[in-house]
Amino acid sequence: MGTERAAQPEARAVDDISALLRAWSGGDQSALERLTPIVYDQLHSLARRYLKRERPGHSLQATALVNEAYMRLVDQERMQWQNRAQFFAVSAQLMRRILVDHARRHNLKRGGGVLHVSLEEAAMVGGDQGGGDLVALDDALNALARLDPRKVQVVEMRFFGGLSVEETAEVLKVSPVTVMRDWSTARAWLYRELTGETGDGV
Amino acid sequence: MESERWQRVDDLLQAALERPQADRREFLRQACAGDKALEREVWSLVASEQKAGVFLQSPAIDVAARAIALQQSLDPQETAGSHTGQTISHYRIVEKLGAGGMGVVYKAEDLRLRRFVALKLLSDELAQDPQALSRFQREAQAASALNHANICTIYEVEEHNYLPVIVMELLEGETLKQRIRAGPIPTNELVDIGIQTVDALEAAHAEAIIHRDIKPANIFINRRGHAKVLDFGLAKVGSVLDRHAAAGTSAASTFTIEDQLTGAGSTLGTVSYMSPEQVLAGDLDARSDLFSFGVVLYEMATGKLPFRGESQEEVFDCILSRAPVRPNPGLPAELERIIGKCLEKDRNLRYQHAAEIRTDLQRLKGAATGIAKRRKTIVPAAAVGLTLFAAGYFYSHRTPKLTDKDTLVLADFLNKTGDPLFDGTLRQGLAVQLAQSPYLSLVSDQRIQRTLRLMDRPADAKLTPELAREICERTASAAVLEGSISPIGSQYVLGLRAKNCRTGDVVDEEQMRAARKEDVLSALSQIASKFRTRVGESLAAVEQHDTSLAVATTQSLEAWKAYSTAWNVAASMGDDAAVPLFKRAIAIDPNFAMAYAALGRMYGGSEEPVLSAESTRKAYQLRDRASDAEKFYITASYDAQVTGNLEKAQQTCEAWARTYPREASPHHFLARIVYHPSGKYEKAVEESRKSIELDPDFAIGYSHLACSYQYLDRLGEAENTLQRAAARKLETPVFLVQRYDIAFLKGDKAGMEREVALGREGSGAEDWISNHQALSLACSGHLQQARTMSRRATELALHAAQREKAALFETVAALREAFFGNAPAARRRAMAALDLSREMYVEYGAALALACSGDSERAQTLANDLEKRFGEDTSLRFSYIPVLRARLALNHGQPSNAIDLLQIAVPYDLGMPRSAIHGSFGALYTVYVRGEAYLAARQGVEAAAEFKKILDHRGIVVSDPIGALAHLQLGRAFVLAGDRAKAKAAYQDFLGLWRDSDPDIPILKQAQAEYAKLP
Repeated sequence: MGTERAAQPEARAVDDISALLRAWSGGDQSALERLTPIVYDQLHSLARRYLKRERPGHSLQATALVNEAYMRLVDQERMQWQNRAQFFAVSAQLMRRILVDHARRHNLKRGGGVLHVSLEEAAMVGGDQGGGDLVALDDALNALARLDPRKVQVVEMRFFGGLSVEETAEVLKVSPVTVMRDWSTARAWLYRELTGETGDGV
Repeated sequence: MESERWQRVDDLLQAALERPQADRREFLRQACAGDKALEREVWSLVASEQKAGVFLQSPAIDVAARAIALQQSLDPQETAGSHTGQTISHYRIVEKLGAGGMGVVYKAEDLRLRRFVALKLLSDELAQDPQALSRFQREAQAASALNHANICTIYEVEEHNYLPVIVMELLEGETLKQRIRAGPIPTNELVDIGIQTVDALEAAHAEAIIHRDIKPANIFINRRGHAKVLDFGLAKVGSVLDRHAAAGTSAASTFTIEDQLTGAGSTLGTVSYMSPEQVLAGDLDARSDLFSFGVVLYEMATGKLPFRGESQEEVFDCILSRAPVRPNPGLPAELERIIGKCLEKDRNLRYQHAAEIRTDLQRLKGAATGIAKRRKTIVPAAAVGLTLFAAGYFYSHRTPKLTDKDTLVLADFLNKTGDPLFDGTLRQGLAVQLAQSPYLSLVSDQRIQRTLRLMDRPADAKLTPELAREICERTASAAVLEGSISPIGSQYVLGLRAKNCRTGDVVDEEQMRAARKEDVLSALSQIASKFRTRVGESLAAVEQHDTSLAVATTQSLEAWKAYSTAWNVAASMGDDAAVPLFKRAIAIDPNFAMAYAALGRMYGGSEEPVLSAESTRKAYQLRDRASDAEKFYITASYDAQVTGNLEKAQQTCEAWARTYPREASPHHFLARIVYHPSGKYEKAVEESRKSIELDPDFAIGYSHLACSYQYLDRLGEAENTLQRAAARKLETPVFLVQRYDIAFLKGDKAGMEREVALGREGSGAEDWISNHQALSLACSGHLQQARTMSRRATELALHAAQREKAALFETVAALREAFFGNAPAARRRAMAALDLSREMYVEYGAALALACSGDSERAQTLANDLEKRFGEDTSLRFSYIPVLRARLALNHGQPSNAIDLLQIAVPYDLGMPRSAIHGSFGALYTVYVRGEAYLAARQGVEAAAEFKKILDHRGIVVSDPIGALAHLQLGRAFVLAGDRAKAKAAYQDFLGLWRDSDPDIPILKQAQAEYAKLP
């Protein structure tokens, strides 16, 4: 089975990714440079599909697309990782690293609006929407990490890694309830950080 | 310690979030026990949590991809080089604010007026469509005329690089959409925003501008709490863009990029705010905005959408056919009522004007802010007002929109599915459904075709709503029914709209959804039932006569398609051409009762009575699979054609006429099938008049009336009736034959020749005219010519493969030979007729010819066969059998027996047995044979009385040979009675009539010999 699939370019790519991820988690920074274009490919193909504005009828289920992109990156069945949890954690970190770098490099600051508001609103509001872009989010996560590192891990798993509550619980070896609580606190905290909202009137 | 404090913050936050929203603040106040900093810290997180909405809810790669897509989707001009710093006209662009589906928005400085504005640059997609562009400009110009505090002002429309640029008010604040994210809006604030929005709508609607895309993202709340409605009149353009982007999407709305990007799952974009008529891509009016506004009100009140679904299709489904999700119970009942009235699916039941909503919202505001004391005094007054209002509403709602005097014109369905299966089928189906209504009456297809001819349009012109409206006006009908079918994903939506054709007002509008193609017919049934109750028919009547189309017709759309195409073909190319299509419908669905009934009708029209009866019998067996209206038709046809039991036919038709007082057919039937055979011609006149009144464009109705007059010897009135039909441009081959007969009765040779000439011009009646020519030629003893004409008639029928008809012509010829005494020729013809068909009339005529020509044995066998096969038939029982049995008794030398046998026929003596109606022989044969019997019994006076009857009813006898022979027989009777003078006169009448006749006719030779012997 292995030999058969190894003949296919895609399968080879998967092997490469696994190896590269292992290398990167082992501290090999050059592995990141080789992983980045792979993630970019998926990212841009996803963006292209959004750009085509495919009919809602034929959708274009966002999650399905993302899963597709993700699965191309990591064929879980062929994963050589002994520790599934460790693999998830590493991939989530990788995604965070690559996507934030991408945002920083391409100055997608304005595009940060997509984090939580519609573009039409952004068009009308006449000002910056609170800088909720990935770069700002990354900064806020770093700040949160000083306060509560596990909540940052939850955000990494769920937001960057695209893991479900249960998967996140499995990786972090906590209960799903804890993940949900961490997630809601982290979201509230990050949202406040990014929008500068304060609870007035107290 | 920081981490300890954070732990406390986290715990308190989670504890607060577990409590109901309203209790959270109080909980924190107590839990923090005066630690204000802690309380503020946790509260700010609670507030953030409430507002966070979709924040971080989509995976990061998705967010990043959307960011890239957004960047690249921005105005292509943007990618070429930013506009920032540029000047467009006298506007200097300061910065880009964002982009939407329609283009990019910049903040700009108005260099003349020194103020900041927003510039909307339209995407260059628009530039590719000049029509869309000019439409956009018109819309924008119209919208720019709106000057209202609650409408985002469009200052002007500029042009840049040949593309329009909208210069508008720069707003600062947030949209209602953002506001709603934080949760439901308190009633007071909701009412404020609502009233301002409704004010904006009212102002726009007054200028005939419809927004078309009212949604929270288009309602802006500025920093002073003012509501401003954005993008008036631009949605239409949005739909153009949308079409460019995604061919086929019918929804007209300003899809934002977000809508495009999110796709299914989260907000589903703006489809959630569409009115049912928008979903159906129908004509929109101001009331569409009021529906969308209702959705916004609902969302403000509950934080949720009233129509929810996982996919666009599901949302559409909810909008079209489901009640809104019940809002939280805490909502003021009056607000719930207001929302409910906005969200009525039938726009006629909604608020009709924005101002009405404002009044109700203001009352609500008063109620919400008014002090308790004041409310006490207000309530009774308000209650009275409400009662009156409710009564008035109820009353007006119950007032029938259409009366039982109105007629309706059915336009062709607008088929937006691209599936030809629906062409024609749905209109026909709706016609069947509405024909079940005793209350409503559709203008018949014949009448529509006639009206089209008057309009110089082809009879099969497509009935567009405009054409249908013109027909509606010309036929003085009340309303046009416009149907439509549109695809929504894999589903279908049927629409039905009734419009007053004079005012154009929509009288009623219905919608119905079908999940699958197979469900379309049942959806059509439901829509018809809804429509019937809605326009004024009593529920009881609808329930009593409402067989669903699938039950009443067929479940197979293909079979239905063949069936409805067949009717169209019949209308444009004639009955014969439609036969294969009806057969095809039956092949697809062998239980399709209406198709059998229709086939029976077609065969009946082409004088194929055996086939016709066969189909009708089948239809009768399957009659439970037909609608009530059709069941009456099938049963009456069965009574008339298959069993011939006219007593039953009469009962059926009378019940039919009672149940469907607006239906002309039972009156046609009563006249032709019941009263003509029983000789009640005055009653037939009455019924025919009724049928013409109900359906003045049904040609056969005039034919029946003219017949009744002719049978009464009122030839002038018969002619007038046919002229009335001609004046209405109604024509049928039957008219030609009738005019020929009337000319014959009047002795108008030129008139007869005129009709013969017309008959030769491909009228479809040449065979019949030939047969009638033969009959009239024989009346003056021109037997050779008559034979030629009969042969011609038979040949024409055989050429058209109409054996039944040919057999009838042969029968007529056989009887002629028999009466004239050419026994061998009569027997030959009779056998030839029997070879062609064993149909009842043929067998009867042949048997009589054989009996008169000495072949008693064969005649006897045929009579027995007839009795066995058609024992129930009224004409058989009261005419054919008595005639045959009496004739055979005469052959056996038993005249008194013959007279007895004919006694039973007396009440029907002057009727038209159906052989006379269908085969032009047999009328008054009972009288003639009875006369012969009296002659044989040597009772001259009695015999003379019988033959006198024949001569006195020329309109019934017309050119049947017995008409001429009655003179001779009368002469014989007078001889027996000893009245020599009258006998001589009668002989002379006969010999005079036959003065130019062929010389060698046996009966003539006998007459001459007898005359010569007269003393």
